[in-house]
Amino acid sequence: MPFREINSKMIEATVAPGQRLFSQRGAMLAYRGEVSFTPNTQGGQGGLVSMIGRRVANEATPLMTVEGSGTVLFGHGGHHVQVIALTGDTLYVEADRLLAFDGTLQQGTMFMGSQGGVMGMVRGQVTGQGLFTTTLKGHGSVAVMAHGGVIEVPITPQRPVHVDPQAYVAHHGDVRNKLSTALGWRDMVGRGSGEAFQLELSGSGVVYVQASEEKL
Amino acid sequence: MSTYGVPGGGPVVHDPMTLPSDDNVNNYTFCVELKGSQWFLQKGKMIAYYGSIDFNGIGHGRLDRLVRTSFHSPLHASDWVVAEGSGKMLLADRAFDVNSYDLDDGNLTIRSGNLLAFQPSLSLKQSIVPGFLTLIGTGKFVAASNGPVVFMEPPIRVDPQALVGWADCPSPCHHYDHGYMAGVMGGLRALTGLGGVSGEEHQFEFVGAGTVLLQSSETLMAEQATGAVPHEPGVPGGGGAPGGHGPQAGAPRLPGQLGDLQRRFGL
Repeated sequence: MPFREINSKMIEATVAPGQRLFSQRGAMLAYRGEVSFTPNTQGGQGGLVSMIGRRVANEATPLMTVEGSGTVLFGHGGHHVQVIALTGDTLYVEADRLLAFDGTLQQGTMFMGSQGGVMGMVRGQVTGQGLFTTTLKGHGSVAVMAHGGVIEVPITPQRPVHVDPQAYVAHHGDVRNKLSTALGWRDMVGRGSGEAFQLELSGSGVVYVQASEEKL
Repeated sequence: MSTYGVPGGGPVVHDPMTLPSDDNVNNYTFCVELKGSQWFLQKGKMIAYYGSIDFNGIGHGRLDRLVRTSFHSPLHASDWVVAEGSGKMLLADRAFDVNSYDLDDGNLTIRSGNLLAFQPSLSLKQSIVPGFLTLIGTGKFVAASNGPVVFMEPPIRVDPQALVGWADCPSPCHHYDHGYMAGVMGGLRALTGLGGVSGEEHQFEFVGAGTVLLQSSETLMAEQATGAVPHEPGVPGGGGAPGGHGPQAGAPRLPGQLGDLQRRFGL
């Protein structure tokens, strides 16, 4: 586990030779030892094709590669940080929420429409994810930023979880999500409850929810 | 440091008796108890008080002696007031984390915007590093930070925006990531900004014995003018306008950047 939580807004990462990390550009707070920070124009792993894919998908967040030997402190914008350990499953998260992640994780881009077709695209619009989202797959840790504290809500097959799209942060596991609407005539006349759209996640896995409806 | 309120416990109600004395009420509020004593505080940081407390701007004749002994930054005095009387006073700053620190015959240098209040047993001076203030002596002071403060031991390199202050470190200096700036590509990057900057080419470096205080985010607090230093040869920042040179004055100027040309042409 390369990330250690120092407090709710700061993590400490250990880098060793031959092992690298990716982090959001400018998110380094302090470091010890000989560590180098190289801007990563490709916005992450993979070759040119992945880079173009990310650019097109607007998931190309400015990343930098962290290499060397030492310890690095990361934090950004006063946002709360949640460290998520992945053991072989896939994490779905918006690229701009990524604070830092293991170089061993496989980074990819997913089209929202591939989960639920048109409804998936609508869902992407409502959650602010856009049409694409970033996936990280493999064994390793990811530090994800959120506004306000993060709550981890487990999803079990019997118990689907409904999440406010604005408070949704990330999820991993074997999870299907769909947008459930509760639009009524009140919403049409502007007297809605403000909770007309919810994200329904079912299957088995974990969803992370932030204690705020503010986007990053 | 006190913990967050118990979930579901409802708000905690305080009265003059239950308010702590010279301690945190919660992460964002600090309570100072005055018993005929005095505290220096930055203007506008008091949010409430019990008892009878006078707030006097510095520069009144009556406070001259106090200012003479513990306030050595005369041009900066208009940002500070002296609270005296008896009662309890609450300090806070825009919901930033607030903490108190005790100095025992020590010294600590802190970013000017982060310092909220201090006991007159400490003396406040302008640091040689522009934009920072140094407290020397024995006593308590209160400082705000964006996120909890983390204490680190040198040797360490710190992002300029994450630095809150340092104690006892003899050698705060700039560190440039030469490997990244050097070479043809480095020059191109520095000149054009193409190829991206990692935002981490420049740090403050601390070595030696001491403690470095970090805040957990890179969001700075509003800078507080530290007053001007006399226009004398050998005084850092003495030539320019106050605050113009501070480490907070935006991106550091890297070699080869256009800013250098501008300066050379006197623009």
